[in-house]
Amino acid sequence: MTKIEYVAIADQVDQSNHPSTFLTKYIWSQDHKVIAIQYSITAIAVGLVALVLSGIMRLQLGFPNEFSFIDPASYLQFVTMHGMIMVIYLLTALLLGGFGNYLIPLMIGARDMVFPYLNMLSYWTYLLSVFVLLASFFVSGGPTGAGWTLYPPQAILSGTPGAHAGILLMLTSLAIFIVAFTMGGLNYVTTILQARTRGMTLMRMPLTVWGIFVATILGLLAFPALLVSAIMMIFDKVVGTSFFMPAILSLGETLDHSGGSPILFQHLFWFFGHPEVYIVALPAFGMVSDVIAIHARKNIFGYRMMVWAIIAIGGLSFVVWAHHMYVSGMNPYFGFFFATTTLIIAIPTALKVYNWLLTLWRGNIHLTMPMLFAIGFIFTFTHGGLTGLMLGNVVIDLPLSDTFFVVAHFHMVMGVSPIMVLFAAIYHWFPLLTGRFLDNKLGKFHFWGTFLGTYAIYLPMHYLGFLGVPRRYYAMGDTDFIPESAQTLNAGITVSAIIVGLVQFIFIANVIWSTFKGKKSGRNPWQATSLEWQTADFPPGHGNWGEQLPQVYRWAYDFSVPKVKDDFIPQNLPSEEVEYLTSERNNDRGKK
Amino acid sequence: MELFKSLRVKPWLSAELEQQTELNSSTPDIEKSASTALKFLLAVITVVFFLFTITFLQRTQSFDFQALSGEVWLPFSNTNMLWQNSAYLLLASMSIILAEKFAQQQNLYAIIISLTATTLFTLLFISGQVQVWQQLNQSGFYITTNPANSYYFLLTGIHALHIVGGVLVLMRCTWHFGISFSYQQLASRLNLCARYWHYLLFIWLFLFFLLTSDASTFKTIALICGF
Repeated sequence: MTKIEYVAIADQVDQSNHPSTFLTKYIWSQDHKVIAIQYSITAIAVGLVALVLSGIMRLQLGFPNEFSFIDPASYLQFVTMHGMIMVIYLLTALLLGGFGNYLIPLMIGARDMVFPYLNMLSYWTYLLSVFVLLASFFVSGGPTGAGWTLYPPQAILSGTPGAHAGILLMLTSLAIFIVAFTMGGLNYVTTILQARTRGMTLMRMPLTVWGIFVATILGLLAFPALLVSAIMMIFDKVVGTSFFMPAILSLGETLDHSGGSPILFQHLFWFFGHPEVYIVALPAFGMVSDVIAIHARKNIFGYRMMVWAIIAIGGLSFVVWAHHMYVSGMNPYFGFFFATTTLIIAIPTALKVYNWLLTLWRGNIHLTMPMLFAIGFIFTFTHGGLTGLMLGNVVIDLPLSDTFFVVAHFHMVMGVSPIMVLFAAIYHWFPLLTGRFLDNKLGKFHFWGTFLGTYAIYLPMHYLGFLGVPRRYYAMGDTDFIPESAQTLNAGITVSAIIVGLVQFIFIANVIWSTFKGKKSGRNPWQATSLEWQTADFPPGHGNWGEQLPQVYRWAYDFSVPKVKDDFIPQNLPSEEVEYLTSERNNDRGKK
Repeated sequence: MELFKSLRVKPWLSAELEQQTELNSSTPDIEKSASTALKFLLAVITVVFFLFTITFLQRTQSFDFQALSGEVWLPFSNTNMLWQNSAYLLLASMSIILAEKFAQQQNLYAIIISLTATTLFTLLFISGQVQVWQQLNQSGFYITTNPANSYYFLLTGIHALHIVGGVLVLMRCTWHFGISFSYQQLASRLNLCARYWHYLLFIWLFLFFLLTSDASTFKTIALICGF
């Protein structure tokens, strides 16, 4: 076949391609940076809804029966919507749609994603999924209250809040989200594989790109499981099939279903659900690695091991899903298998934690805002990870599974930890977006409020779990085995949660104020080596690189290289142009 | 193997530094990118059908499952209609290869004829599938009466949706050709479409085998898979 002569997007410098109207520049934009901001604003906005929902839940738990607008049904609805929004519509969308979109082309030296139109379509489809989800607040019966795992049969049976329109809107919204993610995901992997600039080999990519790359592949392979289960559950609900629905008596009435397997849904859900943990975690791992290396002025410890660990975690994440289902009554050998794989996945994960610590070890640590959040992440992630190891064992999980211990565990590992990284990343890359720093004083207040506040929430919550306080309950009622003091603790947790929630509004105020009035950062304020800081214009304009694409000569972690004048060497700086302290070139560096 | 080799590189060593700079020096082109994206898309589609298949195989072992073939009174004891539909899809798949070839030869009339044939055969396939659904309904094999029926309607429906998606993309390719008149671009796009069509033909043949198997076949598969 004859080869098509096509001007690759990476080499397009035609000025006529630049959007000129407000609509094409900011609304129907195909620029990856604008799409990233659209994704981020939407994700944060819907995340704030979920934050408010969690505050309402905590009010009920801390001060039961004090608030008339929270009844058992609405409590379950708030739990469900909080969980689903936070995991899918905030974290996944913000980490991949937001940071993935912004950073991939800039970090690999491309002008844009390889399919900009598809990228734009991905955002608008995502927005549609958010609207469909939020519409469930306004339909008869309200949103579904089936819990974020949406387990059948109860998810679609009368008696469960939102069992009619609510659950259908949730499932439809998820299906639309998956279509949006697939469009975006195909773009991310293809861009990374095909649009890297000259010299940007795979092993020269910053770990942020590696994290996003592997997480996207996980998403592409794991989200279909959620899609399949959503489609089959919609059929069970609307058409009356029995994919997941067994023969069942509901509210005194025998239903027409028979023979379906609710456990099958659980397998499908967690086949998606566990990789989802790493879809969120891997980009966070990558970003925190870069933040730590840059702000400790030291090359990342064990770069190759970090890459291999990301790949290993990605692969292993597909064979641990049933550790979420120990209480479903599985074969003990099955449980043994999944407990083993769960412990194995801890090895590459622990390796990453050690490597972050060893990067910090004897580094020139700058306690900037990004670094504070990155160190905070190491704490919260280690705590969440260690309780994960405990729950990975069947005998420990069985008594703790339905208690607040699990809630505390997954919030530490999957809620607080990625959010610490998100804040580290926002503080770190904010100057790239706006040319200004986020305010440091407000930032410190934000960091300590968030870090100490989340510990004040989740440390006692582990203890509540050990006491046996069950999760998902609207109120304890007369529960003899739970002491009165547990309620006092719950009230304390609620106060902490409200404080942490309010602190986030300080962060939002900081973002808005700093965007317009913040201290100007100048070019490359953190003296980073990676390409996104080396653009022709700062902040980068449409097309990113001006006339000429950058050429990459080195990896992204040349910090504090002996005998070199500056303590960083940008990736696009040729060896001949590196300034040395002595007249001789340092030939020893390659013999390390 | 290239991937494993590149993952072993030590990017911090200056000896390897110079070597790698010249690597990856080809500029990305849209043809290669689209081909990569298509591979990932096909992987996603594979996972979707793989997961449906796993759930189906598990369900074949439940007490209320009644296979759709194996007895004369069962609808797929006679699969003539399905063979006919398969032939339509095969012809669509073949004609799109011809369309690609004619695009390379810049033969406009032949392109029009072959693309019309592709669309026609594809639509015949979909209409044939709809007829099978109607026949099943007329014979009392409704979607809810048996899990085998449910899966038949579900899987063939999802497959048909993928085909419809392909037709829409093909229409978009034709539309772009109508604007640009670039034969090379058309040929490249038709090559991707052809791969998609072939893959959906393969999926259909797999579904054909799976959904029309009899109870004893399911028993053997379940035994091998450990259900």
